[in-house]
Amino acid sequence: MELAPVFAWFYGLLESLGLGDTLNEIISEAILALVVFGFLSLVALFLVWWERKISAHVQQRFGPMMTGWHGVIQTIADAVKLLQKEDITPSLADRGVFFWAPVICFVAAFAAYVVMPFGKDLIVADLNVGILYIIAITTFTVISLLMAGWGSNNKYALLGGMRSAAQVVSYEVPLALSVLGVVMVSGSMSMNEIVKSQAGWAGFHWNIFFQPLGFVIYIIAATAEANRVPFDIPEAEQELVAGFNIEYSGMKFAMFFLAEFVNMFTVSAIAATIFLGGWNGPFLPSWIWFLGKTLAMVFLLMLFRWTYPRLRVDQLMEFAWKILLPLAFVNIIYIGIFAKWLGW
Amino acid sequence: MAGLVKEFASGVYNLVLGMFTTGKHLGRHAITIQYPKEKWTMPERSRGMVVLLTDHETGKLNCTACLLCMKSCPSGAINIEVIKDEKKKRHLKEFRLDFNLCCFCGLCEEVCNFAAIKLAPKYEFPEFDKSRLSWDKDKLAEMGLDVPYEKPERRKPVAKTPAQKTASEGDKKEATSEKTTSADKTSADTADSQPPTADTPVEAKPETDKDTTKAEDKAPADEKKDDAGQEEDKGQ
Repeated sequence: MELAPVFAWFYGLLESLGLGDTLNEIISEAILALVVFGFLSLVALFLVWWERKISAHVQQRFGPMMTGWHGVIQTIADAVKLLQKEDITPSLADRGVFFWAPVICFVAAFAAYVVMPFGKDLIVADLNVGILYIIAITTFTVISLLMAGWGSNNKYALLGGMRSAAQVVSYEVPLALSVLGVVMVSGSMSMNEIVKSQAGWAGFHWNIFFQPLGFVIYIIAATAEANRVPFDIPEAEQELVAGFNIEYSGMKFAMFFLAEFVNMFTVSAIAATIFLGGWNGPFLPSWIWFLGKTLAMVFLLMLFRWTYPRLRVDQLMEFAWKILLPLAFVNIIYIGIFAKWLGW
Repeated sequence: MAGLVKEFASGVYNLVLGMFTTGKHLGRHAITIQYPKEKWTMPERSRGMVVLLTDHETGKLNCTACLLCMKSCPSGAINIEVIKDEKKKRHLKEFRLDFNLCCFCGLCEEVCNFAAIKLAPKYEFPEFDKSRLSWDKDKLAEMGLDVPYEKPERRKPVAKTPAQKTASEGDKKEATSEKTTSADKTSADTADSQPPTADTPVEAKPETDKDTTKAEDKAPADEKKDDAGQEEDKGQ
């Protein structure tokens, strides 16, 4: 069942109340924001549980088993516990920066979903600069991490924040270049247009088949963007204890934690949208296709985490600038040749 | 350049290999158990809860109140009270084992000649109050009821032969004569067997003998234990 008609029906209901266009707009936007926010919170809670289960099964343990069926509501219990905890601010912390860092992180993680096509006609705002907007807004995360590192007045936090800034800035470049390949082929930066350009072959005309190199570059850079293993040096627990969020507790820590998982979902959703055909697919409703592809990407990222060892800082930089960046240029040239001269 | 390509290829191959290994383990069954729900049966000879063993034929404890386990216990967890009847035969009055002190070393089981005490493969006996971890004779015996064990051969009385009588070297003599004669004889044997187990020289025999008998006269177990300690000091 497609979800877009449900929202359309609801908007019709709202119009029939006769509140005037401005009020209608405000109410519908607020409801949409709440729906997206609720959905993403649920997704983040689910991902935390899933990550724990996958890590447990990779290590041949059970993972959470007690709360609910195989521990599904374990993360809800954890979140409730975190909300109840004391909110500690270090006495020498820069209070303003310390307070706003998790808020910015949280907002930046969620703001990317404004242009995310969850399904057919299921998009909050179809901006014509969609993918550029996402790349720009997700980079806000690095500012929040830097703020958290600086505001905590803690050497580990500061180191974590600095590393995070260096890493995200470096990997932003190959990430944007790999996305550029898709934009070149589809001829638009709007997320909806990118999805529609992959609609051929009964919904299997995916960009990944034509730009496998771009996909690989994107996945590597996205793993680094989301601060996931093997690029998790901002929070390398053996060196930095916890990195930028070392001084955070309770609610603020929960915000960082949720934002981290929402970020992982974001990069997976972008990969699913621009490389794996988005919501295109036969038989099933479009939002199920989108969710399935995204969760498959999340699963891949989780398997990365439990397979690969962490890179050193110098290896990380070397890899980004000496290997990924040239490869991204090669990818663009190759796509340019094929897309324009052979006319895909 | 060729080397670089080769290195790159092998790196990619190993990355993929690693993913396959992870995936393989993901599909396997968990090797852990859900502890409070399902429990692991310990190996037969693992050293868990200390129990007193009962002779299933007579229904009585195997313990002969020889105090060997009490003396060998490094942490002093065992307290034994002994009474003597009119024939001066020793009877076990009380056997207290304090699990707060017990270190589960198994020395008591090792020195016991009568299969009276054993470390059974049971492991779960927590209490909310420390004092409840000090178990008496009845509790220890009850816990030992379902613990399988082998009766030692030498428990059966053996008719003394002249050759054995004359052979004065410690262990064999004890082994044969332990259960045969009067209470005095038994206590002497007990004292005899102390030196080899506690690594004390043989010369200490008379002293230990005396101390043990003195210990028996005093009923409270604590004092007896003190004596046992002194005795070891003298022996060395």
